[in-house]
Amino acid sequence: MHYPEPIAKLIDSFMKLPGIGPKTATRLAFYVVEMKDDDVLEFGRALVNAKRQLTYCSECQNITDRDPCYICNDSSRDRSTICVVQDPKDVVAMEKMKEYRGLYHVLHGALSPVDGIGPEDIKVTELIQRLKNEEIKEVILATDPTIEGEATAMYLSRLIKPSGIKTSRIAHGLPMGGDLEYADEVTLSKAIEGRREL
Amino acid sequence: MYLENIKVKQFRNYTELDVALSKGINVFIGENAQGKTNLLEAVYVLGMAKSHRTSHDKELIQWGRNYAKIEGKVNKKSGTIPLELTISKKGKKAKANHIERKKLSQYVGLCNVVMFTPDDLQLVKGSPSLRRRFIDMEIGQIQPVYLHRLSQYQKVLEQRNALLKNADGSDRSVQSMLDILTAQMIELAADLVHRRLRFIRLLRDWAADIHQSITDGRERLSMDYRSSVGDVSEDMELSRIKEVYEKAFADVRKKEMERGLTLIGPHRDDLDLAVNDKNVQTYGSQGQQRTTALSLKLAEIELIADEVGEYPLLLLDDVLSELDDVRQTHLLSTFKERVQTIVTTTSVAGIDHEMIREARSYRVKNGEIVETVD
Repeated sequence: MHYPEPIAKLIDSFMKLPGIGPKTATRLAFYVVEMKDDDVLEFGRALVNAKRQLTYCSECQNITDRDPCYICNDSSRDRSTICVVQDPKDVVAMEKMKEYRGLYHVLHGALSPVDGIGPEDIKVTELIQRLKNEEIKEVILATDPTIEGEATAMYLSRLIKPSGIKTSRIAHGLPMGGDLEYADEVTLSKAIEGRREL
Repeated sequence: MYLENIKVKQFRNYTELDVALSKGINVFIGENAQGKTNLLEAVYVLGMAKSHRTSHDKELIQWGRNYAKIEGKVNKKSGTIPLELTISKKGKKAKANHIERKKLSQYVGLCNVVMFTPDDLQLVKGSPSLRRRFIDMEIGQIQPVYLHRLSQYQKVLEQRNALLKNADGSDRSVQSMLDILTAQMIELAADLVHRRLRFIRLLRDWAADIHQSITDGRERLSMDYRSSVGDVSEDMELSRIKEVYEKAFADVRKKEMERGLTLIGPHRDDLDLAVNDKNVQTYGSQGQQRTTALSLKLAEIELIADEVGEYPLLLLDDVLSELDDVRQTHLLSTFKERVQTIVTTTSVAGIDHEMIREARSYRVKNGEIVETVD
């Protein structure tokens, strides 16, 4: 089947999105053709604006529509603590908790030689720069509990240690409200490893 | 534990089948390509919720059907539990005592099985990776944490090799990254090797006993874990093993940078096997190598019994013909009273008559099974 060029291009564009294969892309493309003109324009504008109007916060590197972002700008927040995360989505998760009142730093990735990602490919220099400039007392390393996240946390802690700033790693273990007997062995063994004195 | 019956529906070449099994030895006799292995596979799948020869569950469903179903009553010390496993294109559904188990991990382990196939005969002569896989799978059955650690180790190894391969050694951040990956690796390597050493210590005693019994006391089996760092031994504490690896990685660092590859670690270790103090991998006869493979596998039965408190089922797929009469007899009599054994074979000609008379035997032909009475 040969598609008219505009449709073929649209299908191609949809396929660039994660989780969308040729079938879904084709269905979406034909749906767009049937949509109201206004809706299509709105959709197009939303796409462009998301890209154009969003930028990285010059301080925490999170995505934002103004610089500095609303968290870095919030004077009620504790400016002595920085929580380092891998991804903007992690900031959203942390903020949902409504308990953490410090600042963030988004790395946009984790160290992974297999994928060719070294310290210069994630926002490490920016973090180190911030530590010099501000009255920072503690850095919380909240990268994912994966091999890469763990290595990134270790790398950063070695880098920060000489400056005398306290570094801590978030705990891994049992989910709250769960029964001990239903936890899997791996989580349980992590919980035992990270036990603390009462 | 033993299986009172095995009932299958639309499984491989069986449309419908219900076979009562004896508590002792069950022999399934048939020509090739009649469905003997499929039957053993059904028992294996009922216990493990996965096949020993394919990772594509769809292949288990009879051609042109939508689902396959396996049922069986497992008789344990605590009572009889009906098991039921349905495999459809959407996935697997497991029931025990007629209640669905949402997590397969809550189902697997209710009926333990140990399978021995002609492929396992390669265990002794084949490459070190086969022996590592054997060790890893066995420990994994007993300690689920082990498999998780192993997969983490493999990820670190991959990262470390990638770094070593492309790294510019003069770059400070590369050296720092290598330090970190090495630290991660040492942590996991020491833990894996520690667990492996403890496992080998248990395995050695059981395997030696079984080997002696199969060979009627003529052969003595011994084994040693061979580590790529040399100086680890079974009586070492975890912290001591860690120190050994720390030193070994420091010593080999320059060479690793040159070669661009991780040169030591549990992924390069092996199991040395000796019969009467001679390395059986190199100097053993074909028969000795087979018996050694069998002893290793059968030791697993004792290990599981130790762990679970009951003997698992033993499934022997066409391996009797690979052993001589004496070894066959000893194999079957070793576990006769304790372990339910299901055996497949193309003919009973070479098998000890005494044993066959006591066993319950069936004839398999073209997806049908008939109990033979003689």
